[in-house]
Amino acid sequence: MKTLLKLAWRNLWRKKRRTFITVSSVMFAVVLAIAMMSLIEGTRELFVESVVSQTTGHLQIQDVMYHDEPSMDHTLEYGEEVYSTLEKHSDLIDYTVPRIQGFCLGAKDMGTRGVFVMGIIPGKENRMNNLSSRMVEGEMFSDNDDYAVIAEGVANLLELSIGDTIVLIGQGFQGMSAAGKFKVGGIIEFPMPEQNNTMVYLPLQEAQWFFAAPERLTNLIIMAENESNINTLAQNLSDDLDSEWFAVKTYEELMPDVLQAFETRDAQVRLFSWILYIVAGFGIFGTIIMMIHERLREFGILLSIGLKRAQLAIICLFETLFISVIGVLSGIVVGFPIMYWLNKNPIQVGDDLAEVMLDMGFEPVMPFSIAPDIFIYQATTIFIIAIVVGLYPVRKVFKLDMISAARK
Amino acid sequence: MKTVIKTKDLTKIYNSSVAPVKAVNNVSLEFGEGEFTAIVGPSGSGKTTFLNLIGGLDKPTEGQVIIDDTDISNMKESKLFDFRLKNIGFVFQSYNLIPVLTAKENVSFIMLLQNQAKEAMEKRAVEMLEQVGLSDKIDVRPSKLSGGQQQRVAVARALASKPKFVLADEPTANLDTESAFNLLDIMSRLNKEENITLIFSTHDQRVIDRARRIITLVDGAVSKDEAFDR
Ligand SMILES: Nc1ncnc2c1ncn2[C@@H]1O[C@H](COP(=O)(O)OP(=O)(O)O)[C@@H](O)[C@H]1O
Ligand SMILES: [Mg+2]
Repeated sequence: MKTLLKLAWRNLWRKKRRTFITVSSVMFAVVLAIAMMSLIEGTRELFVESVVSQTTGHLQIQDVMYHDEPSMDHTLEYGEEVYSTLEKHSDLIDYTVPRIQGFCLGAKDMGTRGVFVMGIIPGKENRMNNLSSRMVEGEMFSDNDDYAVIAEGVANLLELSIGDTIVLIGQGFQGMSAAGKFKVGGIIEFPMPEQNNTMVYLPLQEAQWFFAAPERLTNLIIMAENESNINTLAQNLSDDLDSEWFAVKTYEELMPDVLQAFETRDAQVRLFSWILYIVAGFGIFGTIIMMIHERLREFGILLSIGLKRAQLAIICLFETLFISVIGVLSGIVVGFPIMYWLNKNPIQVGDDLAEVMLDMGFEPVMPFSIAPDIFIYQATTIFIIAIVVGLYPVRKVFKLDMISAARK
Repeated sequence: MKTVIKTKDLTKIYNSSVAPVKAVNNVSLEFGEGEFTAIVGPSGSGKTTFLNLIGGLDKPTEGQVIIDDTDISNMKESKLFDFRLKNIGFVFQSYNLIPVLTAKENVSFIMLLQNQAKEAMEKRAVEMLEQVGLSDKIDVRPSKLSGGQQQRVAVARALASKPKFVLADEPTANLDTESAFNLLDIMSRLNKEENITLIFSTHDQRVIDRARRIITLVDGAVSKDEAFDR
């Protein structure tokens, strides 16, 4: 076997330039495919990260019915059972963010407007998404205050300024009506219009009173100590919580449509990178065909003097594998530092696009991911292609008529 | 004298597009141990075909090839590979050697395929290269050797594993006169010293009279079979 490998390796360098060109073409295909996947994956990471930190958190405890029918009737009891379960798994939990939230009507004088009321603990929100940094006027309330902080769009639409009173009307727990008057103590600005035109924040306890749901939450957000443990944590929590009342949802379950959209796009990118690979594959194939055909005579002699067909096939297969593996590895060796650099020093996108991205709450950069999956995926794909291409010489060797080959 | 190769009514017919060709026609011969035989005849007389048949590279249309009591004419391909590897040495007209291996590695190649012990193998390879006068070319690759030197390496390789017999198909065809004489002298000497049965084909008048037995083929049939004492 060692001899066969040695032969294959040396055969590779008989036509140095040709091998070099083939290896380079594989390398470029790999670098290109890596760059493409890296950008796609990076966008996804950025997007998920943003949704996770703004909205869903890593996972949530909810009332079993809440996900399908989000209403005050489907709030969860934030009491002993939840506390003790959280305590039990505190080693996997970084921190929790309790929220009670629902749609209401916001009004001032004659103006009304649909708003989204969210009861929060500011310290916890800040830890999750640095909410207070978006304050443009007034001050964020603390836990014992009783005033509201509203988004800038809401303030404009209802002509509210600091010191004014906003009236909120909605649906409370168990059919109670929710109504309340709150002084506006702060204004906050969001880049995304949906948020900027709807958000009204209340201190958690005020909101619970307002919704007639003391000690209850719509969502208990949980941030895991370590992202790789999210699924374990979710499993542990749902094992310990009574499944008749509580549901544990990971961020993936909380935004299925977003992830679905990315999946479709991923599929398209995969398809495109397969085209690249097929091009590279044909490059290898062409070289292999030449390598085989100019050596048929040699093959005939080798088989005549006692080399077995299987042994010769192994030599040919390894020649293909060597070329592909060298190509892939050099592609990764070249591609990884580039992606790493782009990941650390992101390219700023052009003005128009930058505005759109800012509007959506993203940093206006081209995010390149350096997730190991990307590189592993490239390596295995090329490996598979190499095996397929390598079957040609194997077939050829098994079909070769050694007498006529040796005669040529 | 012990018989090493025996052919019985050996016939090979090629079905070419024009008309069937009887490349080897009803040949019955015996080759004894240690013989040094030349198969001669003009181009197209069937020399190569005959050697391929007794070397187990080609299948006869009719008749048999018996080597040491084993009939190889109907052996399965996989068995034939092993049989050739163990029993038969080959030297071809040209491009015999593996270009990416050095002279020593080429000579060791058959022994390597036979799984011989490394040290004995290397010792034997060096010894054989000395025998063919190439002790200074041990680590040189074929592309750096002259045609005559390459053929000498090929002869060294064929004999190194001590096969039952060695077949050489026109080994001097591409050599100048001096190299041709030189190669034949080496083959003749090794035949005696190592007592290895050696059959070579040629239509090269210069080297025919080195052989101790000369079989002449005409249109695939034996027309003369002469022995010489030299
Ligand atoms: N594969 C083949 N197909 C058809 N005819 C062949 C084939 N090989 C050899 N022949 C024919 O068989 C005859 C003997 O050829 P060969 O054994 O090569 O003779 P030599 O080696 O003496 O020149 C020639 O007429 C040749 O054309
Ligand atoms: Mg011939």
